[in-house]
Amino acid sequence: MSYGGAGVPEIEPDLGPPEGSRRSRILGDRDGGRNVWVAVASTIVFFAVLITLIVNSPGWSAPGGVRDAFFNKELFLESLPKILDGFWLNVRIFLTAEILVLMFALVLAVMRGLPGPVFAPLRLLAVSYSILFRGVPTILVIFILGFGMPALELQGVPSSDVFWAIVALTLVYTAYVAEVYRAGIESVHPSQTAAARSLGLKRSQALRFVVLPQAVRRVLPPLLNDFIGLQKDSALIGALGVTEGLLQAQISSAANFNFTPYVSLALVFVVITIPQVLFVDWLIKRDKRRRQAGGVA
Amino acid sequence: MIGLAAFAIIAAACAPEDDTPAASDTTGEAPATAEECVQGADIPLTAEGALTIGTGNPAYAPWYGGKSVDGSEWESSSFTGDPHSGEGYESAFAYALAGTMGFDDDAVEWVGIPFAKSFAPGPRDFDFAMQQISYSDKRAEAVDFSDGYFDVNQALIANNDSPAVGVTTLDGLKDLKLGAPIGTTSLEAIEELVQPNVEPSIYNNLDLALKDLKNGQVDGVVVDYPTAFYGYADVVVGQFPPVGGEQEYFGVTFEKGNPLVECVNIGIAELEDDGTLQELQDKWLTTDVDVPVFS
Repeated sequence: MSYGGAGVPEIEPDLGPPEGSRRSRILGDRDGGRNVWVAVASTIVFFAVLITLIVNSPGWSAPGGVRDAFFNKELFLESLPKILDGFWLNVRIFLTAEILVLMFALVLAVMRGLPGPVFAPLRLLAVSYSILFRGVPTILVIFILGFGMPALELQGVPSSDVFWAIVALTLVYTAYVAEVYRAGIESVHPSQTAAARSLGLKRSQALRFVVLPQAVRRVLPPLLNDFIGLQKDSALIGALGVTEGLLQAQISSAANFNFTPYVSLALVFVVITIPQVLFVDWLIKRDKRRRQAGGVA
Repeated sequence: MIGLAAFAIIAAACAPEDDTPAASDTTGEAPATAEECVQGADIPLTAEGALTIGTGNPAYAPWYGGKSVDGSEWESSSFTGDPHSGEGYESAFAYALAGTMGFDDDAVEWVGIPFAKSFAPGPRDFDFAMQQISYSDKRAEAVDFSDGYFDVNQALIANNDSPAVGVTTLDGLKDLKLGAPIGTTSLEAIEELVQPNVEPSIYNNLDLALKDLKNGQVDGVVVDYPTAFYGYADVVVGQFPPVGGEQEYFGVTFEKGNPLVECVNIGIAELEDDGTLQELQDKWLTTDVDVPVFS
């Protein structure tokens, strides 16, 4: 949006000549605004052709065709409140799981990085865990726990489907996120730990105050990746008979013989992803600014 | 058993031919029999010279039964069968229906489909879907339904230790955790007739619903009336009055505008007139047991 017309004056003066010239090279704004207009026009043409192609395909407007089956406005409005109702359960489930994952994954990552032969069993445990739960498809973990654990009929073992759904998602995504943490921890140069130790910090303190803050900051984008993945996988727990968003969509779909409820749900998932992406982008930018401001010395 | 089924199929297949002269007297230019109808000029078939039918996999009793035949993708168990066997109500009906349209048993092909494929837009790799699909006006906007081949009610099944056992009123079910398989009208029976205070559980298939019933996570499962008698649970607690006051029935579903629906309707009428439909229902479905209707 902000590239419209004016061109050069938009470059912030403090970015300096190298940044500015690279920007020019990438955007190619030698000719001022002309290229912007070419870009706009080609975008419009591209999407116009795409939409025309879809809308004019033989199956689009046939009775019972794609337009009716996937983009039925009445059914969209009718099914959305119910789907949002079901989706609220997804939100509660994935938020709970995300908090648990953040904690457990950190423990697992630290466990895996413990030095010395004494901790070999812990390291082995951490490695086996990450192999097992990254290897088994999430839906299978959900099935096995959701239908298996209540069947044990053990005293004190909860039989709630929602409980086991949260456990399953937490187990699986802890394995992924632990790897992300580990990558972050290992990306911090050993000299950082050495410096911290030479200042008199204990190993645990060095980890807590020097390594982890840097590690977590670096892995924010892949962390968000896994969280969005977890949110999407919360749709799998409908398999246990919990009426979350996807199962609600399936119910509406089967009752009306129409696929519009799935499109409604897809839209809901995209909509909740947007603010998260913006938030993480903002975090990264803020962090960059702070580091550049004070990091020269 | 198989011999009997085969006999029933052959009998059913032969029967309509006897009716042919009488039927053709009463109709004008419209095709008189299902067989003539299929031979009509513009009847599109998925596979040349064969009738291709889509149904679920697993295929549940009492709709499908028998041992799995060689090379079939369906597996038989105490609760599931193979559509190719000709056993179970829908399988037997399918072969009888195919017979009226002039297809012999070898010319009937089965395709395993997820439920959503029975109403997905676009071309299909089967002629029609047959998997206990209840007619509704809303559904009929997306697909073409045949006439009914079975009138169905919904019933509640439970195990002996469930609080549902002994309940006779819809009010009595309000505080129970009920379950239903997806895609059936069982959920409508729960939501509209019981209006429960506890959110019902919906399952992707009957199997999963029954697992939760066994684990005690639901107090009862609502299923089609004939399904209720198949020993999936200890007790048939009761049956529901028709939702919305209209008799619910199963039809086979076609891609919108498929002219084959006419031929199938003629075939169903033939089977109804000569008593085959009733015969097959008596043979494969338990429907005459007195089960109280929830009041």
